[in-house]
Amino acid sequence: MNENSGWANKVLYLAGVVAMVILARDINVIARLPQEAQQGAIFKIIFFHVPVAITAMIAAAVALIASVLFLITRNFRYDALAVAVTEVGLAFLAANLVTGSIWGRIIWGQWWAWDARLTSALVCWILYAAYLMLRRAVEEPTQRATFAAVWSIFSFIDVPIVIFSIKWWRTQHPQPVFWGGGSFPPDWTAVFLWNMLALVLIATVMTVVRLRQEDAQRELDSLRRTAHAM
Amino acid sequence: MHLSSIPILFAQMASPDDIVREAARLQRNYEYLSYGLTVAWVILVIYVLLMVSRERKLRREIASLKAMLEDRQKA
Repeated sequence: MNENSGWANKVLYLAGVVAMVILARDINVIARLPQEAQQGAIFKIIFFHVPVAITAMIAAAVALIASVLFLITRNFRYDALAVAVTEVGLAFLAANLVTGSIWGRIIWGQWWAWDARLTSALVCWILYAAYLMLRRAVEEPTQRATFAAVWSIFSFIDVPIVIFSIKWWRTQHPQPVFWGGGSFPPDWTAVFLWNMLALVLIATVMTVVRLRQEDAQRELDSLRRTAHAM
Repeated sequence: MHLSSIPILFAQMASPDDIVREAARLQRNYEYLSYGLTVAWVILVIYVLLMVSRERKLRREIASLKAMLEDRQKA
């Protein structure tokens, strides 16, 4: 292990620890916040549901940029970044869908509604899951990276639909708090932003770890080719 | 009559059934909040565990292939 990767590891672990400390503190603070007047305690799920959604959308945007850069440069580092960030984003989007469904069970009396926001978010999850399945189906590395990059760019079309669906159509999903005319008390906003920061940090650490696994996978493929050639 | 006395009046008028129902609603609210947060964390923890297992598998395979290649070179 060289000196640079030693430092990189330390920074990575430090970022992970900082994120976990912030989250532990936030869980304590959120538990002490008063209940929301209309919805009661279940409203507090917003402190997790929205940040994981925003993190997943950021991951999709990074995957789009990496995919475009791969198609332009043919540099496999961008392909590795795209797959790493897509996988992490998928896990966060799954957490978003599940927390939303549980909130809906209490507030709407049903686990799921086929409205524009929920449906487009589910389609988004399926599109990015298909991206990962596509990668497994294609053997040849250059072909795999090219097909995957094109699919990732296509999948991103759904991301603005997910974000703006609540503005474009009448949905059962509520309007957003921050750009839908609602507001948070200042101390609630601070907790929300800290939670957001912690979750983005966790997603970044996960992406870097996953990126290293892609490097290891490439080393393994190269060793296999050498073994076959001998 | 002051407006602030309305909730007190309501509380006095509410039947024991209403109070029990409201307590059950609050309880259910907290239960589902805890389910939501638990399930979300479980998803992320499962993903981390999958990453750890993949990392171990990759390291094992790389080590065994390197050992095999060294053996072949010696032979």
